[in-house]
Amino acid sequence: MPILSPTTPAADPVTCRIGARGVSRAFGSVRANVDVSVTVRRGSVHAIVGENGAGKSTLMRMLYGLDAPDAGAIVVDDADVTFSGPRDAIARGIGLVQQELAIIPELTLLENLVLGAEPRAGLVWDRKRALADARELAAVVGVEIEWDLSAAHASIAVQQQVEILRLLYRGADVLILDEPTAVLAPAQAAELLRLLLSLRAAGRTVIFISHKLDEVVEIADDITVLRSGRTVASFSRGEVDRAGLTELIVGDQAVEVRDEAGRPAIGEAVLVVDGLSAADDRGIQRLSGVGFSLHRCEIVGVAAVAGNGQEELAEAILGIRDCSSGSILLDGVDLTRETVRGRRRLGIRYVSADRKREGLGIDLSLVDNAIASSGLSRLGRAGWLRRSTVDARVRAVLDRAAVRFGTAKDPASSLSGGNQQRVVIGRETIDEPRVLIASQPTRGVDVRGIGYIHELLRQARDDGAAVLLFSEELDELHVLADRIVVLCQGRVAGTLPGDAPRAEIGRLMLGETATTPTTEEEGR
Amino acid sequence: MTELRTASVDAVPGSRAGFTRARILAGVRGAGLPVAIALIVGGVVLAVTGNNPFVVYGMLVREAFGDINRIDATLAAATPLLFTAVAAAFAYRAGVFTVGVEGSFVLGGLTAAVVGSSVGGLPPVLAVAVTLLSATVAGGAAAAIPALLRARWAVDEVVTTLMFNFIVIGVANWSVQAFFQQRGQANSATAYVAPAAELPPLNPPNQANVGLIIAIVVVAGYAVWMRRSVLGFEFRAVGSAPRFSLAQGLRVRLVVFVAILGAGLIGGLGGGAHALGIVHRYTSGFSASFGFTGIAIALLARFNPIGIVVGAILFGALNSAGATVQLFVNIPIQLIDILQGTVMVFAVASFAIPRFMKRARRGAGRDDA
Repeated sequence: MPILSPTTPAADPVTCRIGARGVSRAFGSVRANVDVSVTVRRGSVHAIVGENGAGKSTLMRMLYGLDAPDAGAIVVDDADVTFSGPRDAIARGIGLVQQELAIIPELTLLENLVLGAEPRAGLVWDRKRALADARELAAVVGVEIEWDLSAAHASIAVQQQVEILRLLYRGADVLILDEPTAVLAPAQAAELLRLLLSLRAAGRTVIFISHKLDEVVEIADDITVLRSGRTVASFSRGEVDRAGLTELIVGDQAVEVRDEAGRPAIGEAVLVVDGLSAADDRGIQRLSGVGFSLHRCEIVGVAAVAGNGQEELAEAILGIRDCSSGSILLDGVDLTRETVRGRRRLGIRYVSADRKREGLGIDLSLVDNAIASSGLSRLGRAGWLRRSTVDARVRAVLDRAAVRFGTAKDPASSLSGGNQQRVVIGRETIDEPRVLIASQPTRGVDVRGIGYIHELLRQARDDGAAVLLFSEELDELHVLADRIVVLCQGRVAGTLPGDAPRAEIGRLMLGETATTPTTEEEGR
Repeated sequence: MTELRTASVDAVPGSRAGFTRARILAGVRGAGLPVAIALIVGGVVLAVTGNNPFVVYGMLVREAFGDINRIDATLAAATPLLFTAVAAAFAYRAGVFTVGVEGSFVLGGLTAAVVGSSVGGLPPVLAVAVTLLSATVAGGAAAAIPALLRARWAVDEVVTTLMFNFIVIGVANWSVQAFFQQRGQANSATAYVAPAAELPPLNPPNQANVGLIIAIVVVAGYAVWMRRSVLGFEFRAVGSAPRFSLAQGLRVRLVVFVAILGAGLIGGLGGGAHALGIVHRYTSGFSASFGFTGIAIALLARFNPIGIVVGAILFGALNSAGATVQLFVNIPIQLIDILQGTVMVFAVASFAIPRFMKRARRGAGRDDA
């Protein structure tokens, strides 16, 4: 097994090691890629940037053979190719690191590295040689890895490094990374970027997707901007700054119009969050002193790049995540020590971003999904559900959101994504909630469904709810939000009016004033 | 938006007959395969040992269901399994995998034997009620600590309930020798229960007794409670979608606690009924691993109440027919164990494999480079 065999240095810089020529790909009526062209030079670091849904991941999947273009072609070494699957891409030296790492926690890091391509010594694998190879590989790219550590005990950052090294070990010289820094703390991200640069120095070609424009401008040799599935611009290093990129990324698309007709006036403060701090499941501080207030008949949008604390904020308000400090007041009553059940009883409702695991019991029937909530005891007497009351409730929930279904005894999994979300929103808004936390409510919902879900959220607002809307789609915030709270690295970066220009929101989201990833002391 | 409302809201009340039929069919599909595989494996064993599998199987069926007395024996053998299978299914519905029913069954049996031998002065109905109630409480007591550990501190219930089985059964057998030993008995056994506390046979002198009726009532209660009670709903939700249940503010801890405790209560009642109906006292070796066979039946039935009845009768038939069929043919005594063991293995496998496949499918998206 050759370890980092010398590759041709960038002798001819125009050579397209990998790319796309006029590629289009549609999923039903959604056109994910339209006439996309990208040229990735051999030995360069190439960044792909764009909003969620701009078509970045679709493009990456096609470059790796996980998907095939409807029109146009993938280009490898200046020639059109047709991949029938990842196997073909791997054979051409292309490797993909997805956000969800393919690391087996039960094995050591060394075993993970060589898994499937173990050096052999007779019938067993040659551990000594594997270890020597691993050390050599790590030295070349300048990382230090404790190879005998069980993968379960390694940090995400180290697991990611091992996954990158595994691709190299298998002979990949083109590495595609899908938002590699999204899951990392700032210092770890800086280390990853250094690793990418040393890969380039070793003659490898790197393609990475990122929302963090700082790091893009910092390390990319070339930048391609995608918007609504099209390539809107390509730059070489130094040709564009972050502000220019932000403008290109968000563009100036026509937006769904705000519908303010006949809405009630914004009322008194209902929910007051003050100085809230919380950590994620791995113990990394994700919220630091967040404060804002939420009023009756108001929709407040929360804008943030993924991983900047919005999930933790939603979970902390619902009560499924402990907060380390700060307070949450509902109508002046401190909820901070209250259980989920208690908070729901006081009128907090929640539309989860994780529809299949948290928003719904996906294998439970629509009946069960419609009635599940702390208000169950009202659906019967003395601990027993009364059929007529249950049926009326189910009917009301499914009617409210105009859910299209077969029979109410079908499992939730039988519905389309948009209809599943309608069940969730119908259930969560049926009792005139005081506070509705809606987290990415239109994620994975098609365009038509999105409009209807927006309508349901407006209806909840008009019925008197204070709505906290977390969304990665700026369009969504623009048509719904009265104010927009922007989170960046777990802090409130600013509060803007609901119709604030996209570029202004984008600037705050991307942490215009925040530290760049190369600064070491930030984070841990 | 109204044009979207093609929904058949009338379907909410549902047709009960169709619904029940669907559940029965699902139960048959889930249980049929493991049983069929077990019969094939057993057939191979028989053929290898020089028997004609069809002849032996035919004999087994005749011995299990051939006449009213045989059926009675099969039902008597199925009775303790009904209790333990429902007990296991009760907890598993909530996603809690207790294996402590065996211990609860034993402690319930001992308690019933001890109490039952001292209630001779009471009228029969009252004597039975008091005795069974104390057996139920004892069974619950055997599960209380694991239930608390799991609900309060998330201590793994498989480990604690398994260990508690050893403790409970050990304490039961020791206390028989120390306190309740009947004089003049060679092996450790308690005194016989008072006639007033016995569960009368349904068709004397055969063994099937009122305990069978109680078991059927418990199975029916389980079915209705899971479908119709608030906590039963929460059981199903927590078992099927734990994160969802948490976000909905369901009483997840209470569900987990009641699941383990309830399995113990039902197991204790089963032990009590076994003591009062069949054995009429407690001896060491009181339970022929009924608690563990119950786990297999619950999995085989996918917690479906009708499936539990069918599964308990199947295992009961194997036990009762296996005992007598050896009198007529020279088959290996272990055949019955092999059949039961094979059914259990494939019952567990057919329960686990779909989950495994689901996980494999989820992982298939990422191709290992």
